[in-house]
This record gives sequence, C-alpha cells and structure tokens, in this order.
Amino acid sequence: MPTLVGMNHRSAPLDLRERAAFAEAEIPEALARLRESCGPIEAVILSTCNRTEILSRGDEGAPTAAHLRAFLAASRGIDGETVERHVYVHEGTAAVRHLFSVACGLDSMVLGEPQILGQLKRAYAIAQASGATGPVVDRLVQHALAAAKRIRRATGISRHAVSIASAAAHLARTIFDDLHGRSALLLGAGKMTELAARHLAASGVADVTVTNRTYARAETLAASLDGRAVPWDAYEPELARVDIVLTGTAAAAPVLTKAQVRRALASRRGRPLFIVDIAVPRDVEPSVHELPGVYLYDVDDLQESVDSGLTQRRRAAEEARRLLDVEVASFDRWRQGFDLAPTIAALYDHLHGVGQDEIERYAHRLASLTPEQRAVVLDLTRSLIQKVLHVPVTSLKSAAQRGEAGARAALYREIFGIDPEGRPPLRAIQGGKDD
Amino acid sequence: MARVVLTIALACHAAGAGLAAIGELRHGAILERAGAALLSAAWAGELAALILLGVATDAYPLRTGPEYLLVLGWFVLTLHLALWLRSGVRAASLVLPPIAGIMVLSASLFAVDRAHEPALPTQGWLVFHTSIATAGVAALAVSFAMSVLFLVKEHALKAKRPLAVLEKLPTLEALDRLGFQALLYGFPLLTVGIATGMVYSGLLHDRLFVWGLKEIFPLIAWIVFAGILWARFARGITGRRSAILAIAGFAFALLTFVGMVR
Repeated sequence: MPTLVGMNHRSAPLDLRERAAFAEAEIPEALARLRESCGPIEAVILSTCNRTEILSRGDEGAPTAAHLRAFLAASRGIDGETVERHVYVHEGTAAVRHLFSVACGLDSMVLGEPQILGQLKRAYAIAQASGATGPVVDRLVQHALAAAKRIRRATGISRHAVSIASAAAHLARTIFDDLHGRSALLLGAGKMTELAARHLAASGVADVTVTNRTYARAETLAASLDGRAVPWDAYEPELARVDIVLTGTAAAAPVLTKAQVRRALASRRGRPLFIVDIAVPRDVEPSVHELPGVYLYDVDDLQESVDSGLTQRRRAAEEARRLLDVEVASFDRWRQGFDLAPTIAALYDHLHGVGQDEIERYAHRLASLTPEQRAVVLDLTRSLIQKVLHVPVTSLKSAAQRGEAGARAALYREIFGIDPEGRPPLRAIQGGKDD
Repeated sequence: MARVVLTIALACHAAGAGLAAIGELRHGAILERAGAALLSAAWAGELAALILLGVATDAYPLRTGPEYLLVLGWFVLTLHLALWLRSGVRAASLVLPPIAGIMVLSASLFAVDRAHEPALPTQGWLVFHTSIATAGVAALAVSFAMSVLFLVKEHALKAKRPLAVLEKLPTLEALDRLGFQALLYGFPLLTVGIATGMVYSGLLHDRLFVWGLKEIFPLIAWIVFAGILWARFARGITGRRSAILAIAGFAFALLTFVGMVR
C-alpha cells in the first residue's frame, strides 16, 4: 500500500518548509538512509520550494506513516512534535489521489502551474538512479505523469494567465505566431517593466531594446536582458521595427502618443504592434488602440485577463478533479490486480502440491506404468488443476478490475486454506500458470 | 439515385459540420474526429452524387448554377479536409464545412438531375474553364474563411474580450498568412478560369465578353483580388482591410451563380 507523508505551503509555514527541504544532491543519500532504516521499500522524495513529500511503498511490515514522519524529523533535524503538527499523511488510494493532484498542479500555490510536472519527473529520475523505485512506485509515478499530461491537455488548466506579466505574454501569443525571435521595446526600466520583460524573454522574445530617461538604468536593464539601450530621445525609430512595446515609466503624462505610433505604422507594412502599458498613470494615449493593427492593453485590461484566467483555472480544476477520479480508479484496479499476485500464486502452488501428494500416495499402484504412461498421468493432473483454477482465477482478476478483489481474495484464502506470505509476487499474474 | 445519395451526403455533412464546430469550440478531440469522419463520408457521398449526376445527364456536371454550387461545395469541403489533415488549422472547421454545406444544400433544392442540352463541339473548353474557375473560387473560399476568423479575432482583441474567446482561434498572424496563401492559389486559378471563359465565349458567340452576370461578377471579384494583391505587395496593406476585401471578393465570385441560373 503506498504511503505519502509531506508538508506543503498550506500545512507548514515557510521557515519550516525551508528546513524540511532536501537539496537535490542530498536526495540519493536520504533515500539510502530511508531504505536502510525501513527495509527494502520503494521510495521517492519530492522536494520543491513549496513542498517536501516522501512517497513509499513496501510489502507487509513496510514502514508506516509514523516511521516516515520520524525519518523526516530525524533527517532534517526538526523536532518530532513540530513535524507531527505540520505534516499530512495519505495512505492507499488517498496517497495515489494526492500524488496525481500534485502532478496536475491542483495542489500547487498557483493552481495548475506546470513546473511541478518537471519537478516530479526529476524526483522520480533521482529515485530511479538511486535504485529506490520498484514495480508499484514506477507504475504509480509514471501513471501520475501521464495522467497529468492528459488532464492538463484536456482541461487547459495551465493555459490561462494568472499574473499581469504572464497575461501580457499570453496576449502576445494570441497575436503573433511564435514569440521566438520577436523584438520588444521597453520604455522605462522600473521593477514592474523588468518583471514583465523577463516574462516576455522567457517566452522567447530575444531582441530587447531598453530606453529610460536615466540612460544608465536603461543600460543596466538592457545588459541583464542581453539587449541594448537607446537614449530616451532616440527611441522613436524603434517603433517602426519592434513587435511589442512595453511601457512602465513614472511619467505624469503619456509618453507615447497616437501621432508617434501613426508615424511608425507608415513603415511597418501592416505588421501588428502589441503595446502593453503597465504604468499608472498611463504612458500611452488610449486612442492609440484605435489605429489599425495596433493592440494597446493597459493594467486594467490585463487585470481583467488575470481575473478571467483565474476563474477559468478554477473551472478547469473542477473538471480536472473529475478526470482525476477516473485515473485514480484505473491505477487502483491495477494495484488490486498486483496485490492479488501472491494469492493466485499460492493457490496454484497449493493445488499442484495436492496433485503431487496424491500421485505419490498412489505411487505403488502406478508402479506398473511405463515412464511415458507416468508422464501422461502427471500431465493430466497438471492440466486438470489448471482447468479447475481457470474460472476462479479469471473471476478474481475480473473482481480486481471492478475494485472488489480484497474480500474475494480473502474468501479464496479461507476456502483453500492458503497463506500467500513469502510467495514471490507476479508469478501467477505474469504467466497465468504456475509452471 | 443521385438525389438519394446527395440527401444522405447532406445529412452526414450537416452532422459532421456540427460535431466539428462543437469539437473545435470545446477542445473535444473525439468530437472533432467524429466530425471529420462524417465530413469525409459526406465528401465521398457528394462525389458519388456528382458522378451519378454526370451519368444520368450524360454530361459533365458543371453547366448549370446548381451544378456550379454543388461542385464548388465539394471543392471547398475537399480543401477543408486537406487543411484539417495537413496543416492542423482546426479553426477552419467553424467556417468552411458550413459554407460548403450551404452550397450543396442550395444546389440540392434545384432539380440537379434534369437532362442537359446536347453537348456542344466546344465541350472540352467548357469543362476546362468551369473546373479551373470553380477550383479557384474554392481556394478563395478558404481565404474567405480565414478572413472571417481574422475579423472575429481582431474584433475580440480590439474589444478586449476575455482570453477564452481568443484562444479558440489561431493567432492573428496565422490567420492573415493562411488567408493570403489561399489567395495566392485561388487568384491564378480564377484568372485562368476567366481567360478560358472568354475563349469559350469567343468560340460560342464570336465575342470574348457578352456582359452577362456570370461574366461580370467574376470580373469584379478578380479586380478586388488583384487590388488586394497589389495593396499587399506594393503598399504592405494587410490585416483588417485585406480581410474585408477578401470577403467582398469571394461574395462576388459566389454571385456568379446568379448569372448561371438566369
């Protein structure tokens, strides 16, 4: 049964999350220590700025949540009581559901954010490289990653912008085919302009020109963005060249007028111009938006996009949770089938043992048989047992598909008096026969 | 027989267009694929109806107004399916299948399977002229569709509508580019269509131009499209104005039908 113990931005304050976090380089050693102290379990440690989680799975007698809590406290030097107060524990299906939610970004601080998918992939790769994973955790994490991709694609939860900077980049992507290689002109070199510019640069905008009344500040920002600076009184020719203009000066009156933009349009040959004005008071005359091929968005317009993006992410999250139920149920069916393996193997062993015993009991009466005839009797016995078990085993596997395997497996164990403990797993499931 | 096949094809066309549009708007891949499958069935059905029509009338089925609409609708659907399969321009599902459907439906309202006059000695020219002109107008229908979508998207951006509306459609640049590419294919075909039409008229009436509506409307369309190309290449005029002109040009090209039924 998978067990997940962890803390995130909702359950623990930042200073505790900082103390609980594992640096990437520490994780292989931490996994080794966990396996040393808890036995041969499968485990993954996911540690990001907002969460530290340990996912584990073992056979009967595997570490409980209490073991994992104690391990987390001891390995991070946090007292047990604090860990107890701030961690959450999920077991079985709840652990599966939690991991799937995390992968989909449904448990993230920014709903639907896509980075967590890469972080989970990395955590899994580290665990794999450390030899800490096994069939169940492999299947669980791979299913979580694949399901997250499917759900994100189906619901579009990551598509909607949730910040002014991302809304600007998002809008730019609805106008231009591809932001890679696009050019931008920054009017102003303040913090907000820089933040928005970095977002555009992260989206692929490569050619950045910065202008500012204080030229030195323009130069500093341009250098940090791999762009170039132009003097404040020489930026106008850039309007004819660039695709995006981002303004955020502290000017009391508009610094970009309709007349200036109209002049620039004459030599743009119809190329669209996207202007983002994040200044208050506004830097760009609102009537600029009326010019053909010019799309001017100010802070209020972008905020509207952000609000709409948040609403849409919440709506998408509801849909994602519904899809998540299907994915969790699918994994659970696989897990139940996997858990049946020892029972099925024990069942085959038991009946083949009975067959063997009976053949030995009748050995003296079979003594007159030739070796060929004895082989036929053995084959007959084996075949009879396989045929007798075919329907019950198929029925058990079908029950697993419906999520009803537990009670039925217990019944089989009681009827046949079998004990699956110690059986090597997967023997029957993989081969279907005990040969 | 042609009418029965056409009716079945139309039913597939209507259902397919509906499913494809809903699939596009709701990002439903299964609906989109089901729509495409039904539209493919409609495509095959309409082609079969055209062949049956040709056999029944013993003539190339592109001599009357309804036949023009039927062939044009089939061409538009062909281009839509090609676009859907090859370029991934899914948003065309919102415009092209309904346009093609309306054309085929309009054609089916007329007696499409009535017998033709006997074939003329100039039959070869007529087949070439009508086929190439219709193929050109079908390419211009794609330009029309992209222009409509461009205007919708442009309007949403200018009106600062919520992003959800904008996301359903390709980028403004993509719509402008695709519309222009379709125009680059459609315009030469239309030009050859008009030129061969003049040759045909010369053979039939000893006059290159008889000033009928079926000559005048394509000529106006040609002038509009030539204007778009000139404005684009010489003046760099793209976007909204170009889209409006492409829509107007297509409307004139379509009006050729009026000339054909008179």
